[in-house]
Amino acid sequence: MIRPVLARRERVLPAVQAFAFLVGIVAALALGLILLWTSGHNPAEVYERMFDSAFMGTDSLSRTLERATPLALTGLSVAVAGSMGLWNIGAEGQMMAGAIVATGVAMMADGLSGPLLIALMIVAGIAGGMVLMLGPALARSHLRVSEIITTLMLVYVAIRVVEWLETGPWKDPDSFGFAVIEPVPEQAALPGLFGRANIGMLIALGLLIVFWLAVSRTAWGYELRLAGSSPDTARYAGVSLRRKILTALLLSGGIAGLAGAVQLTGSAARLDSGLSNGYGFAGIIVAALALMRPSGVAVVAFVFGAVQVGGQSIQTLGVSSAISDILQGMILFGALVAAVLFNYRIRWIGPAVESSGDEPEEPEEPEPAEDAA
Amino acid sequence: MAKKFLLKLFVVVAAVTLVAVGCGNDDDDAGPVSPSDEGFAAAFVFVGPVGDAGWTWAHNEGRRYAESQTGAKTLFVESVPEVAEDFRAVVVDFIENEGADVIFATSFGYMDPMEELAGEYPDVVFEHASGYEMNDTNFGNYFGRMYQPRYLSGMAAGAITEANQIGYVAAFPIPEVLRGINAFTLGAQRVNPDVEVHVTWTFTWFDPAVEGDSAAALLEAGADVIAMHQDSTAPGLAAQEAGARWVSYNSDMSAFAPDAFITAPVWNWGPYYARIIEAVAAGTYSPGSYWGGMDDEIVALAPLADDVPANVAADIEAVAASMVDGSWDVFTGEIRDQDGNVVVAAGETMDDGSMLGMGFFVEGVVGNASP
Repeated sequence: MIRPVLARRERVLPAVQAFAFLVGIVAALALGLILLWTSGHNPAEVYERMFDSAFMGTDSLSRTLERATPLALTGLSVAVAGSMGLWNIGAEGQMMAGAIVATGVAMMADGLSGPLLIALMIVAGIAGGMVLMLGPALARSHLRVSEIITTLMLVYVAIRVVEWLETGPWKDPDSFGFAVIEPVPEQAALPGLFGRANIGMLIALGLLIVFWLAVSRTAWGYELRLAGSSPDTARYAGVSLRRKILTALLLSGGIAGLAGAVQLTGSAARLDSGLSNGYGFAGIIVAALALMRPSGVAVVAFVFGAVQVGGQSIQTLGVSSAISDILQGMILFGALVAAVLFNYRIRWIGPAVESSGDEPEEPEEPEPAEDAA
Repeated sequence: MAKKFLLKLFVVVAAVTLVAVGCGNDDDDAGPVSPSDEGFAAAFVFVGPVGDAGWTWAHNEGRRYAESQTGAKTLFVESVPEVAEDFRAVVVDFIENEGADVIFATSFGYMDPMEELAGEYPDVVFEHASGYEMNDTNFGNYFGRMYQPRYLSGMAAGAITEANQIGYVAAFPIPEVLRGINAFTLGAQRVNPDVEVHVTWTFTWFDPAVEGDSAAALLEAGADVIAMHQDSTAPGLAAQEAGARWVSYNSDMSAFAPDAFITAPVWNWGPYYARIIEAVAAGTYSPGSYWGGMDDEIVALAPLADDVPANVAADIEAVAASMVDGSWDVFTGEIRDQDGNVVVAAGETMDDGSMLGMGFFVEGVVGNASP
């Protein structure tokens, strides 16, 4: 039997990737036409609203950027671990841990001036994310325990801790018995830029640039990628794998914790168990679509944010949340499929010699060169 | 000649039509309007899917009722996360694109962003279910005295249980839930002084798997009736499977587990929504902190199962009547807490403030009020 396998293309230009991304989205929107039409909506009206609410005007754009900010940070968090072949599935929990520690700092130091308090809360957020990652990182580097399982499980621990704080030690005495934590002090609100966008966006952008340079342009980044792609070579070259694993995972946790602090001081009024809002899990998709490269994370996070804003907005036109979710899923899926198809090629291979015995292996045809688009 | 006349006629008709359409679309016209006027819209933000058969379903029924009563155009979005950016996006779209004049938000977690939006859009009315924040001009809150029908449902459950052990699948340890458990227990004790109510916490509002498992565990531990505070039907399905009985919540869920169903304390939001929509349209709205009871029909008891004894059914009716005419309410002494301390002295009735901040379990509840 002949079966298909994916082979990575040697070299793909960024322009080709951007084109692939676009092709995938357009293909999904075309399929979405059928979905909307059969569910009784006017696709033109729906798509127009989707586009307008995400891009047209500074208010719309600021909404997209407000969402893109945590997505970029969690996407970067997953990508930093991913550039070494590690999977941080628990950015959602590290976001929460960051927000918890940042809230604790705000409670203890609520007399401080705004900028100082914000800076402290952000540092606290990074520390919180790193603390939650410490266990999985050490278990991975020293005991080879899969970080996929441990980071994921700690998500639920972090959410339960917030629920405990809400109903117990941090319950706001002025909330008439409702289980809420008191709001963060007013001066700890991140300064706004325009509309709903705040300087959290600049923090994310700055961090993306730093990591893009660090991963792709420094010896440290080269070692990181090498340790991921061929650990033996890296070890031979004198790279300490344990140290690299620890660094990559702790940085990943710290960035997700920072996302929690930015969310707390930027968009949310107080810490509650819904603060991470799925951004941590969405970060996995962002990083995957960006092929684990910090440079791609910014673009993907922006598009992802726009899809979320647009998807939310069409519901006020009467599109049900289920249809909207399917449409959002289709767009992301389309982009992912296109990214894979443009970065890999399908090769059809014949039956392996050892499995079917007597049939000779088919000679592999070299792929034609003009396969780019 | 005739041609010219027809042309003139056409021009006049077209002009009149244009003016009429223009007036109809004029949304910024100040004075009082009718809710059925074109351009008036009431928008609802729901936390769950309208098909949940529970909390959101009840609010959506209220929306439909208000629409049919007032003729107002109503809009809704379901499954909106309780997060500032999600809630804001929906509400801003309702106002900017759909011209909504009043926004109803039906979950506690929308409170902070709603307070902000009420400041940003002073010409729009904001009404928040189950919260406590408000302002003097355009932001009010509303809720119902669900503890009243809960007490009545407890009476029915107390009459049905043979094990004298009722399992209560509780949501979150907040005053609203504690009040419901206490009222239910007091009602059950009224007809059956030996009854015990065993409480487990799920920390969920809608998670059928967790809620079904909790009910199954309570049944295994000896309960033969299940009560609940979440929005799913899972506890009822677990009760039916075990041959036990069930008191549902939010709406009459008898269709989901007909053999198990006893009754349910239910929401009836429609009349309140219709009143607010009328007031907003007439320009007479002023914000308040509404907490209506059986007398206002915002809460009610679903029909009783056939095997609730006739004398208990008559007693339930009599107690309900005393709640409606205001001669008696649930938290009237003497009431003791789990440790035997008197919390409401004989002859006294708890005030609203103490009820809203309730943090204890009454005698007869087995469980931890602050887990």
